Amino acid sequence: MLTSLHIDGNSWLHRLPVRAKLLALVMLSILLFLSGSLFVQLAAFVISAGLYLSVGLSWREALKRVGFVFFTIFFLAAVNLFLLPLNDVAVLTLRLMALVLFAAAVTATTTISEFMDEVTALLTPFERLGWVRAADVSLALGLVLRFVPDIFARYQAIREAHRARGLPVRPLTIIGPLIILTLKDADTIAAAIDARGFRRQ
Amino acid sequence: MNTRDLVLIALFAAIVVVLGLIPPITLGFIPVPITAQSMGVMLAGCILGAKRGALAFLLFLLLVAIGLPVLSGGRGGLAVFAGPSGGFILGWVVATFVTGLIAQRFVREGQPEVRQFVGFFLASVVGGIVVLYAIGMPWVSAVTGTPLLAVATGSLAFLPGDFLKAAIATLAARAVFAGYPLLPVRA
Repeated sequence: MLTSLHIDGNSWLHRLPVRAKLLALVMLSILLFLSGSLFVQLAAFVISAGLYLSVGLSWREALKRVGFVFFTIFFLAAVNLFLLPLNDVAVLTLRLMALVLFAAAVTATTTISEFMDEVTALLTPFERLGWVRAADVSLALGLVLRFVPDIFARYQAIREAHRARGLPVRPLTIIGPLIILTLKDADTIAAAIDARGFRRQ
Repeated sequence: MNTRDLVLIALFAAIVVVLGLIPPITLGFIPVPITAQSMGVMLAGCILGAKRGALAFLLFLLLVAIGLPVLSGGRGGLAVFAGPSGGFILGWVVATFVTGLIAQRFVREGQPEVRQFVGFFLASVVGGIVVLYAIGMPWVSAVTGTPLLAVATGSLAFLPGDFLKAAIATLAARAVFAGYPLLPVRA
């Protein structure tokens, strides 16, 4: 149910460390927002599109992943055509498309565990301050991945119960029971975690 | 933070993921389809309170950022933050926090039912609509260059749906508050 957007492969972007890719994304966004030149934006768009299409996604999948964001960008670009000069619209649209494509390329070439290692590294300073524990973040993430299928099964059961009684399936009558039933498990799960001493408390 | 709070945060983030899997409903008199996931902000704030609710959404955004397609419609990855509506997505955390603050301030056990409904509705509207748009709309304007007034005018199309969501979230939050109250136990 929860399959990562990572794509197996051995492209140049796959082999680059996560930190370098994230830094590149940040640098690219700063650079593109500072620059108002159409040429720079066009070059960034061509490079980002080239990178994104070279990571090993099928055309269909590649389009599906950025389609929704592109739809919003094009819609706002169409609105902008009436309000701004043509050159500005082209700069703004190309800039956003370049950033979205580069970000999608980073997502496609980085595994969840690589990201989590980086998150843990980024949390270290906060851990020293005693604000957060990196192990807690990983534990919480693991819990989400573990319980999503269970909660979805529960949603389906509630939906079937509605149908069996001839009731319309409405968000209102589903959300209440779904949340109560799910959160009531919290005590049992917390007890199970503490009994195993995962958080060393 | 005790283990129970950690588990509640994780379970709520998982609920928000599942809300994204529920097919959106379209109503004749509202131009945009209503996704159950966008009710998550109001629900998290009203049910878990400010701190735990905001942390649940922070965890959810972490899932999005590390490349899990958990946003409604199977979207995810860093691209959604780079797109025009990135501000709305990042704004969820602040919106949940404000929703939770208001709910904690105005809703108590033992109050008349009507006062609880009013408190939850107020929290959902201020946090889930006012604060969210106050972050999301300037962001759209800043990254796309569309004048703020035009963005605000366009956003009016979403308002009827948002108020309907606030109403549904109010009823659901009050049902949870009656059945399994978590709000009074401050984290």
